[in-house]
Amino acid sequence: MKRFDFVDVTLRDAHQCLWSTRMTTAMMTPILSEIDRAGYSVINILGGAVFDVCVRYLHENPWDRVKLLCERLATPCDALTRGQSLYTFELFPDDVVALNAQLLARLGVKVFTVYDALNDNRNLESSVEAGREAGMQINGWMTYTLSPVHTDAYYVERTRELLALGVDYLCIKDPTGLLTPERGATLFPAVVKASGGVPVQLHSHCQSGLAPKVYETAIRSGFSAGYTASEPLANGASLPATEEINAIARKLGFQTSLDEDSLREISGYFRWLCLREEKPCGKVAQYDPALYEHQIPGGMISNLHYQLETMKLGHRLPEILEEIARVRKDLGYPIVVSPFAQYLVTQATINVVQGERYKTIPDEIRKYARGYYGKVAAPLSEEFLDRLNLRSSELVTGRPGEHIEPGLPRLRRELGPGASDGDLLLAAFYDKALLEPLKRPKPEYRFKTSPLHELVAWLGARRDIEHARIRFGGTDMTFSA
Amino acid sequence: MAERNLTYEDLVQIVELIRTTSQFSEFRLKVGDIEVSLKRANGAARPAVPLQGNTDVEPATPSSPRRKSEVSVSENLHAVRSPMVGSFYRSPLPGEPPFVEIGQAVEPDTVLCIIEVMKLMNSIEAGVRGTVREIFVANGTAVDAGEVLMAIEPRA
Repeated sequence: MKRFDFVDVTLRDAHQCLWSTRMTTAMMTPILSEIDRAGYSVINILGGAVFDVCVRYLHENPWDRVKLLCERLATPCDALTRGQSLYTFELFPDDVVALNAQLLARLGVKVFTVYDALNDNRNLESSVEAGREAGMQINGWMTYTLSPVHTDAYYVERTRELLALGVDYLCIKDPTGLLTPERGATLFPAVVKASGGVPVQLHSHCQSGLAPKVYETAIRSGFSAGYTASEPLANGASLPATEEINAIARKLGFQTSLDEDSLREISGYFRWLCLREEKPCGKVAQYDPALYEHQIPGGMISNLHYQLETMKLGHRLPEILEEIARVRKDLGYPIVVSPFAQYLVTQATINVVQGERYKTIPDEIRKYARGYYGKVAAPLSEEFLDRLNLRSSELVTGRPGEHIEPGLPRLRRELGPGASDGDLLLAAFYDKALLEPLKRPKPEYRFKTSPLHELVAWLGARRDIEHARIRFGGTDMTFSA
Repeated sequence: MAERNLTYEDLVQIVELIRTTSQFSEFRLKVGDIEVSLKRANGAARPAVPLQGNTDVEPATPSSPRRKSEVSVSENLHAVRSPMVGSFYRSPLPGEPPFVEIGQAVEPDTVLCIIEVMKLMNSIEAGVRGTVREIFVANGTAVDAGEVLMAIEPRA
């Protein structure tokens, strides 16, 4: 019988999409043993936003979280980086990229996932080399988007590049849920055919409401695994529900290793967590054709509208959305993900407000056009190039990481010989002041829980309740303040 | 029915009911074999203590740019204006020396300052050869589109 495997994203992308990445380690630990038992082939625990939010907003040391999750989970843990940019959007030198891979492997990460937002796979070279040397399996992602140049042949070409890097897994990542079953029907078999037997996986979001059908197409096309989330944290901007894709796979005659009792316990816990933490659960999105025009995710449009309102420009939103589509073409069809989504939005806003296109071009967009971050997917438009007025000496043609001076010697000098690899890397990514709160003592983590335990803890934390009695089955509990 | 465990579905239902009845001082619930009774302290309900330390610190929302009186620049000086609504920065990075000081000679492509628009940086060049005579805006302040940032005395 054919198999289909599942990679869990509940602890990473699911709360990144639905809770602005605000799931703390303490919220994860009580349910870890159940997630471990559920039958996932891999559990994704780290990505750029998780790392950054840990530091900036949760004041948790991300290395401590990685270590703890890897220790507690027998299922292989997966960490995702943005290639040469690691957890941010800046490019880092090769020595910093290599040290990051070594540290992740030492903390217990088994699968090392890498991607580049421009699909310039030269930006993955140093990560892949260091990750493999450190003993991790390598999972190479290619990012899906819609444009005249992002054809099936384009993705077959990317597949060949990833295979040449020697990846152990391939994955199509669809960050804004633009894939349709129709496109999957041609794209998926083409990539599977080019994969030469290397397992191919699908990572698609649910903004269009079509993702479960797209996963069905992937299963039929011979994909080996799909990324999914526990049902309360699935759908909407998140990924599809494990429960739903599991049912689809089984109906198609595929064997899966998921345990439905475990999945029920996990989804019960996360449904409760949404309520307790007053965070939203994922809702199934209605099909929205507008998504395919400007491709700007809903969350970003509401944010843009808010920013425009503060500049008293809210009424020009429709014009700016139209201009975004034109700017994207001029810029050679960048994929509408961070940081390029921000580039498109800002350049379009400047063009509309100034009433003259590309009169002002932000420095970052100039860098992008110079090839500083990597190869651009399609030629830049004549109009944009005229306004850029680049000198040939400004163009970057080599691998972006080649042009960056090593970073570790300076960091070692600054932090002294006693600095750990984790501290060196954090110092490479962040200002000192941001790292200060990470030194605070960690909370006591609970590694198991039950609905009764949660109820008692919740009632106990409420100052307004002075007396409570709970009876069910043979249990009778009374608390008084 | 034998001994049973409370399920997460039960828990979610119970807590939703308790939350929606917070204005009452007594709460009694019996569903099947589950019974919950609560007495609340008199007077207004005090806020609950969050179970997990909520360390969320949201970034400050950008304040809308202040309306400023238009600066007048005498006719023999070249006014350098902000292309967009944004934030004005005199140096490339916090703590680094400013791009230019008053009295400094500049070329047309000398960068004078940065205007940050929606988190992207726009380098503003002098546009003329000359000498910086005035800097009208303080570092880090919000500027309007067209607002005069600096004045340059052109030189042939």
